[in-house]
Amino acid sequence: MLRMRLACLLVLVLALAVAAPSVGAPIRGGTLNLVTDSDPPSLDPHKTPSGVFVHALLYDTLVTADKNTGNFIPELADSWTIGADGRVITFKLHPGVRFHDGTPFNSQAVRATIERLINPQTAAPGSSWIGPIDRVETPDDLTARFVFKQPYAPIFSSLRIVFLGMLSPAAIAKLGPNYGQTPVGAGPYKFRQWIPGDRIVLDRDPDYAWAPKFYKNRGAPYVDSVVTRIIPDESTRVIAFQRGDLDVLPATPAAQAQQLIASGKYQVFRTPQDGGLYLGLNVTKPIFSDIRVRQALGWAINRDEVVDYALEKLAVPMDSPLAPTIWGYAKGLKNAYHYDPDRARRLLAEAGWKPGPDGIFQKAGQPLAFTVWTYPLETNVRIAVVVQTQLKKAGVRMNIEQIEPAALLARTASGAQDAILISYGWPDADILYYFFNSGRMASTNRVHFSNPDVDRLLNEGRVTVDPAKRLEVYRQLQETLLEQAPWIPIASPYTITLAQPWVHDFYEDKYGDLLTDDTYIQK
Amino acid sequence: MHRYIAQRLLQLVPVLLSVSILVFLMIHLVPGDPVQVMLQDYGSAEQAQALRHTLGLDRPLPLQFGLFVWRLAHGDLGRSIRTGRPVASEIALRLPYTLRLTAASMVVAIALGLVFGTLAAIHHRRLLDYAATVVALAGISLPSFWFGLVLILIFSYYLRWLPPAGADTAGSLILPAVTLGTGAASIIARLCRSSLLEVLRQEFIRTARAKGAGELRVLYRHGLRNALIPMLSIVGLQFAGLLGGAVIVESVFGWPGLGRLAVDAIFNRDIPVIQGVVLVAAAIFVAVNLCVDLLYALVDPRIRYV
Repeated sequence: MLRMRLACLLVLVLALAVAAPSVGAPIRGGTLNLVTDSDPPSLDPHKTPSGVFVHALLYDTLVTADKNTGNFIPELADSWTIGADGRVITFKLHPGVRFHDGTPFNSQAVRATIERLINPQTAAPGSSWIGPIDRVETPDDLTARFVFKQPYAPIFSSLRIVFLGMLSPAAIAKLGPNYGQTPVGAGPYKFRQWIPGDRIVLDRDPDYAWAPKFYKNRGAPYVDSVVTRIIPDESTRVIAFQRGDLDVLPATPAAQAQQLIASGKYQVFRTPQDGGLYLGLNVTKPIFSDIRVRQALGWAINRDEVVDYALEKLAVPMDSPLAPTIWGYAKGLKNAYHYDPDRARRLLAEAGWKPGPDGIFQKAGQPLAFTVWTYPLETNVRIAVVVQTQLKKAGVRMNIEQIEPAALLARTASGAQDAILISYGWPDADILYYFFNSGRMASTNRVHFSNPDVDRLLNEGRVTVDPAKRLEVYRQLQETLLEQAPWIPIASPYTITLAQPWVHDFYEDKYGDLLTDDTYIQK
Repeated sequence: MHRYIAQRLLQLVPVLLSVSILVFLMIHLVPGDPVQVMLQDYGSAEQAQALRHTLGLDRPLPLQFGLFVWRLAHGDLGRSIRTGRPVASEIALRLPYTLRLTAASMVVAIALGLVFGTLAAIHHRRLLDYAATVVALAGISLPSFWFGLVLILIFSYYLRWLPPAGADTAGSLILPAVTLGTGAASIIARLCRSSLLEVLRQEFIRTARAKGAGELRVLYRHGLRNALIPMLSIVGLQFAGLLGGAVIVESVFGWPGLGRLAVDAIFNRDIPVIQGVVLVAAAIFVAVNLCVDLLYALVDPRIRYV
C-alpha cells in the first residue's frame, strides 16, 4: 500500500514538474503598468526639457550605459574610434536596424537627427548637450562621423541620454513639428496611444533585435505592451500600486517609500541619483559677499542629520558639489565640509559678527538672516526645515519661502534671491560649467558666481579628452568650489523604485532608466 | 424669448473680452517666462531669442493681445507653447472629461442637497434637522483633496470597490463626482432647508392642507416646487464652483480634464492654453447661467422673457 502511495506521489510530482513552467523561464505576453506624475510636453525627444522613462522605451541611442558598471557600451553603434585631436568620433553602426515605421536606421538617420537637434528652429532644450558639433559626415551607410569644432569631452554622457535618441528621417519629413504626437523610434517599444492626462500606451516591437549586450534577451521584449498611467497625486499613485493596479512605482518620495519598503511585500530598487540638493548662495548679496560667512554655513550644516530626518536615510550626504555617482566626482577632497558648529561660529566671529541676545549673530545692528527659496516639493521643504533648525543653532536665521519652478527660474535670473535650495542631476561633471561659468549669470549660474580660476578649469574640463587628466581638472575644480563656497552641498537622495513581486527581471540603472527588455510578468 | 436669448448671447462678447484682458494681464504680472521653462536655461541666449521670436513673445504686449483677439475672432485659439498642439485640440481632448465630471457632481450635489435639505425642513428643530445641518457644515468645510483621499482609502484601498484613479471605467467617475459634489450639496441642502421652511409657512400651504391635500402632495407639489426658484440661481453659481474645484479633484483622482490642463499650463506659463481654458470656462459659466434663467420660466409660469 505504501509503495502504491509513493508511486502515485511520484507520478503527481512528475506531472506537476512537466506542467509548470521551468523556474525563471520568461513568459511572453501581458501588460506592464507603470506610472508617472505628469504628461511629458511631447514624446519627441527634441521637444522636452527632461526625458521621462517613456522616451527611453521608444528611442534607442548610439551608446548606452552598462546596467552594472555604468560604462558606455554600444547600442545602435557597434563600435567607435576617437581621432587623435579629440575632434572627430567615428561610429560604426549596427546593421539591420529598422525604425518603427519600417525605414532603415543608417548614417543618414544619424545626420538627420543631429541636424534637427541643433537647428535653432527646432528649439530643442537638449541641443547644448551635443557640444560644439560642426557636422555629421556619412562616408557610407553604416559609418557616421561626428566632427566637432573643438574637443568635447562629455559627449558620451550626452550620447546615451534620450535627447540623442535616433529619429527616423522619413518620419521627420512626414510629421514635422508633430513628431511627438505619433513618435517613431528604434527602441524596444513602439507607440500606440496617448490620452493626455490619462495614459501612454506602447506595444512591443516584434522586429526589435538589437538590445544592448547586458540584457539576457537581445530580441523583442517579453511583455506585449507598457501602459504608463499619469497620476499627479503621490498618495493616489501609492494606493494604486498597493492595490496592484500598477506593476512598478518609479521615483517614490522618501516618506512614502519607507512605509512600502517596511511592508516587505515589494521589490525595492535604491538607485543613487546622479545629482543632489544644494544650498546656493547669491554671492552678490552683501551677507554672502564675505567668503567666511559662506564657509561658516558649510560647517554649520549636519548632512548626516539631514539624511536621517529629512530623507528617511534614503540618501547619501554630499561632500562635493558633485554627487558620488557623477563622472568626475573626487573622493577625499581636503576642502570638504563636515559638521563643526564651533568652527562655523569662529568664522562668523572673524567676519565681525557677534552673537545677539536671541542667539542670532549680528553686525551693525543687523541680524545674520537670509531667505532661502525652494520649490514646494515635500523633499525640498523637509530638507529646508532641518537645515533651518541647524543654522539657528549656529546663530544664523534662515527663512524659507516656497516658490513654484517657473517663478523661481525667472526671479533668480535677475539675482533677487538671497539663497536657493534646489536639486540638479546630470551624469557628467561638465554640469558644473552651467552652474559656475561667469558667462551664464543670467541663467543657470544662479549664485552669480564669477572666478577666473573656476572659469579656466570649467573650460579645461570640456576640452580635455584624456580621462585621467580630466579627472584631475575636476578634482581641482571641486576643491576650489568648496573653498569658495558659492554652493553648500547637502545630500544626494536615492531614486526609489518599487516593483510588485510578480514582475521578474526588471532593473533600474544608475541613471534612473527603467530597463524592461528582460522583464516578464508571472502572477 | 428668442430676443432675450440673443441678447444674453451677445452679452457673452464683452464678458469674454473682459476675461481675456484680465487673464492676459494677470499672466504677464506673474513672474515666469515660458521660454525659460521650455529650455530650462540650458539653451543658448540665441536659441532663447529665436524661440521667443517664433512664439511672438518678443512683440509689445498690446500687439500680442491684439493678435490674440484677432485670431480668436477667426476661431483660432493659437498653439500650446509647451506641446505645440493647437489649443483648441488640447481643450477638445479634455473638455468632455470635465463636463462629464461636473455634470455627475451636479447630479450628486442636487440629489444629496434636496434630500438633506427637505429632511431638515420637515423635521425642523428636531434631531434629523440638527444632524443634517452638521453634515452639511462638514461637507462645506472638508477640503476636497483630503476628502478625496479618504474616499480613495476606504473605497479603493480597503473595500476595493472602485479604482483610485483614471477615467477608463464607469466606476472611475463615482469617487471624483462624490468628492466634487459634496461641497455643493451642502450649500444646496442649507438653501433648500431655509427656502422650504419659508414656503411651508405661506398661506397657500395652509390652504392646500385645508383642502385635504396629503402631506407628501403638499410638500412636493406646493412646497418644493416653490422653494426651487431661489435654489436654481444657486445651482447655476455652484456650477462655476465645480469647474474651479475640478482643478484639485482632477489632480487627486488622475482625471484627465480641463482642470489639470490648466494647472500644467500655469506651471509652464503656457499662455495660449491658460487663455483658452479660462475663456472656455467663462463661456460655459455664462451658458449655464443662461440655461438657469430660462429654467425659471419653466418652474414659475409667472416669469416671462421678452
